[in-house]
Amino acid sequence: MRRRSPGRAAALWTIALAAAAVMVFPFYWMLNTSLKPASEIFASPPTFVSAQWSLDAYRTIFESRAIGRYFVNSLIVAIGSTALSVVLASLAAYGLTRFFPRGATPFVMFLLFTKMLPETLLIIPYFRLMSDVGLLNTHLALILAYSSFALPFSVWMLIGFFRSIPRDIDEAAMIDGASYLQAFWRVVLPLARPGLVAVALFTFLIAWNSYVWALVLTTDSSMYVLSVGIANMVGEYRVQWNELMAAAVIAAVPVMVLYSLLERHLVNAITAGAVKG
Amino acid sequence: MNARLRRKAGLAFVAPTALFLAAVIVFPLAHAFYTSLHRVRGLNATFIGFGNYARLADDATFWHSLGVSFAFTASAVALHLGIGLALALVVNELRAARTALRIVFLTPWMVAPAVGATIWLWLLEPQFGVVNYLLRAAGAIAAPVAWLGEPGTALASVVAVDVWRGVPFVMLLMLAGLQTIPIEQYEAASIDGAGAWTRFRFVTWPNLRYLVVVATTLDVINTIRHYDIIGVMTGGGPAGATEVLPVLIYNTAFRGNRLGEAAAIGVALLGIVLVLAVVYVRTARLDDGTRR
Amino acid sequence: MNRSIGSLIAVAVAALAWSVGAAAQQPIVVQWQTANLTESQYEPVWKQTIAEFEAANPGIKVEPVLVARKDHWTKFVAASQARKAPCIVSVDVTTAAYNGYLMPLDKYWNAEPAAFRSAWSDAMLSSAKWKGQLYGLPIWGGTYAEIYNRDLVVKAGLDPNKPPQTFDEYVAWGKKLTGNDRWATAVLGGKTDTTTRVLLMWIWANGGEAFNADMTEATFAKNPRSLEAIKFYLGLADKSAIAAPAPTTTNYLEQTNLYAQGKIATMRNAYWAIAKVVGDNPAMAGKSFVAPPPANVPNAPTLSTVTASSISASCQHPDAAWKFIKFDADRKWSIARAKVANWMPLRNDLADDPEIKADPLLGQFVRIGRNARSYPLPHPAWAEIAANDIVDAVQKALLAPDKTDEIFRDLDARLTKKLRDI
Repeated sequence: MRRRSPGRAAALWTIALAAAAVMVFPFYWMLNTSLKPASEIFASPPTFVSAQWSLDAYRTIFESRAIGRYFVNSLIVAIGSTALSVVLASLAAYGLTRFFPRGATPFVMFLLFTKMLPETLLIIPYFRLMSDVGLLNTHLALILAYSSFALPFSVWMLIGFFRSIPRDIDEAAMIDGASYLQAFWRVVLPLARPGLVAVALFTFLIAWNSYVWALVLTTDSSMYVLSVGIANMVGEYRVQWNELMAAAVIAAVPVMVLYSLLERHLVNAITAGAVKG
Repeated sequence: MNARLRRKAGLAFVAPTALFLAAVIVFPLAHAFYTSLHRVRGLNATFIGFGNYARLADDATFWHSLGVSFAFTASAVALHLGIGLALALVVNELRAARTALRIVFLTPWMVAPAVGATIWLWLLEPQFGVVNYLLRAAGAIAAPVAWLGEPGTALASVVAVDVWRGVPFVMLLMLAGLQTIPIEQYEAASIDGAGAWTRFRFVTWPNLRYLVVVATTLDVINTIRHYDIIGVMTGGGPAGATEVLPVLIYNTAFRGNRLGEAAAIGVALLGIVLVLAVVYVRTARLDDGTRR
Repeated sequence: MNRSIGSLIAVAVAALAWSVGAAAQQPIVVQWQTANLTESQYEPVWKQTIAEFEAANPGIKVEPVLVARKDHWTKFVAASQARKAPCIVSVDVTTAAYNGYLMPLDKYWNAEPAAFRSAWSDAMLSSAKWKGQLYGLPIWGGTYAEIYNRDLVVKAGLDPNKPPQTFDEYVAWGKKLTGNDRWATAVLGGKTDTTTRVLLMWIWANGGEAFNADMTEATFAKNPRSLEAIKFYLGLADKSAIAAPAPTTTNYLEQTNLYAQGKIATMRNAYWAIAKVVGDNPAMAGKSFVAPPPANVPNAPTLSTVTASSISASCQHPDAAWKFIKFDADRKWSIARAKVANWMPLRNDLADDPEIKADPLLGQFVRIGRNARSYPLPHPAWAEIAANDIVDAVQKALLAPDKTDEIFRDLDARLTKKLRDI
């Protein structure tokens, strides 16, 4: 393997660190602000480190706002969406690659097409739909919405994955007496685990960060999710920036933890899905 | 007999998803199209056929917004790709820190775009924002710059924030692609005496080309319909300089209360993106001869 | 046989009675949505309002719907379109009534005793009427005035007891208050309707009009006094150079930030801004004084926003909703709102209330508000005109001041078209 010159290494590291600084700075500022007392937030010049850092803002939002409750709702909705998405996407992707191999691409294209309409126009019909079936103020309405957003990309990713698993494996299982579903469930699916993890992460992210849908579909504040709770902290007449940032930090943590633990699988799945098409 | 059974089994696998999406996506889509054929004033809707579309064709605001959308999307996507690819190359080489860097570079993707935009709004604030403070401290600017206050810098600023938001995804895609390039190809090139740029042109790029097409098209689809960053940071201002189509749609629907017109703009946007999607399909077929 | 039928009937009747009884005991739930429920300083008051109302009306439960200010209207429209809007709402009355989202309140209003109705003047009520019908009960408002930072004024060698009366005096003051990385004031050009509110005030203060009497024509450029006022006000940012830079991104939050941090010495704002300023920077407590906006004509009106409580068209329990609206409009809550959130009571029977009198700033605002025009202006397209079209024109004029005439002539044409398109 060719050796890297120290000059080249230095150049690479400079670029990497500079980019990392820009990427991460907003988080650092979020954290910094969440720890500052309210009076220091608009200090000029701005303070990067403060002797008065404290967890007061965090304490306040848990005590006086239902951040804990919102967090739990977000978790329920995100996990529900993830589960539904994984199930539906894997079933569909398997069915397409095994039974309708030529129909797979047009189907995925259609799915991607459906994703293109801006959210604004979907709000009103979606509200009406959920209202008519009596699903307003339920976790289920949000789970259905978020799964539907995640499905196109998830199916596409998994199609690539399933395509790379040779059919002989299914056939071997079925020769041993397994049904289609059993072959899928017991033999093929475990091999596609990285893809499933990727779908799960991707869906979780969509469900966790989404705002507009929860805004419109829930009116009972005990059903609010974190993104709504955060948005509601921006008052017209007063904004408690440190509390707002504290809530945003709390909202970012689970996603970061999840991604740190599982991002390997994400890279694998995208490779399989994209490169092999 | 076996073929029919197979078909039934196949449908059983695909049907749940297809039906689910039919209910949850196709209905709102059809509703949007239906609404676009009406003049809607609150709960009163009058059928006017393609009247809204005819009006749009004459509306300077719509065409201006379309132009801004293209400018925003083109520059954002180009930067996503350029910077994403560059960072992927860097991370790929820095093997030791690869995982740590990958996680760090993914961080913008983990924050809801609206929250990220709020933070950037703050960082770019002329009097109290950190960006101006740092630039002045470094001597790069003399007086605070109103990043979002002037049309030119406003568009550049929202593009920059969108780059911050969008690079992680592209970088990840590129990195994944880079890691599937067989080492032997690089070694063969080195043995032939190829320099870094030649290696990139003849080994890296051909292997990545398909992925780049995929990334570009997905990115374009996502960026052209993106609302949050511009909605939060400028609302389309100043003087419409950053009013991309999703912002125009939102303003028309919920400020102007002209739901029919807003739906028409959305359907028009859909048509444009559909054309791009068709391009993707064509290019995808052309590029990858090894489809199974 | 007879006995079994008889016992069957008895069971059926008992079951029916029980279910009717149970239904009668089910509380009626009315939802209440206004953008202000998420204001932290208002929270204790509205919680108490609901608690006391429910205690006094055991069959009714009020469910607050919390929503961020910027998304309040979106949420209301989405729900109204599906005919599932919250019963009690505070929205732009004209726009909502025109779109069929609200229920007329005349039958409830007329059934109230004269003693109750006399607390609202005709002028106040007309701000909540559309096509002759009442669609809202004005609950609170905000009068705009010029708020000054006493310390900065004194430091500049000016007399706080003699605030500027005319435009020219204002500029003279402004020049003394600008300098040292600090400005006299801020021109509002951000993309919210506060920009329009302030612009209208300057136009009126010069004796101009932005629209004709029945809101079918825009006269920003057509009326020479309007255009003159516009040029003067926008010129504060460029010609007179007494306003903070970046006006096109300065909205209400920015402006109050600048004032709270001492970057500007004066702001055109409502009473609630003072509470926000003190919240942001406790050192500013007691440092502000208030004066009527400078004007070039005598008796120039200032601007008062009016927030009214309405009943949505899809409300299933309008009687219960009206009960709550009445309850909330009571003197007690009007005073409470004034004290915690600095929202002006709109009842005309509170001026002599000791609690109101105890706050001298509030008293001044009340006095200044006696000569005020209500806002929003009564036109269904107002929300868009105020937040989009007029703001765009202001932003364009701030970026290209020599084109101001042309820009506002275009605005007149565009607005006149919109005003007539209903």
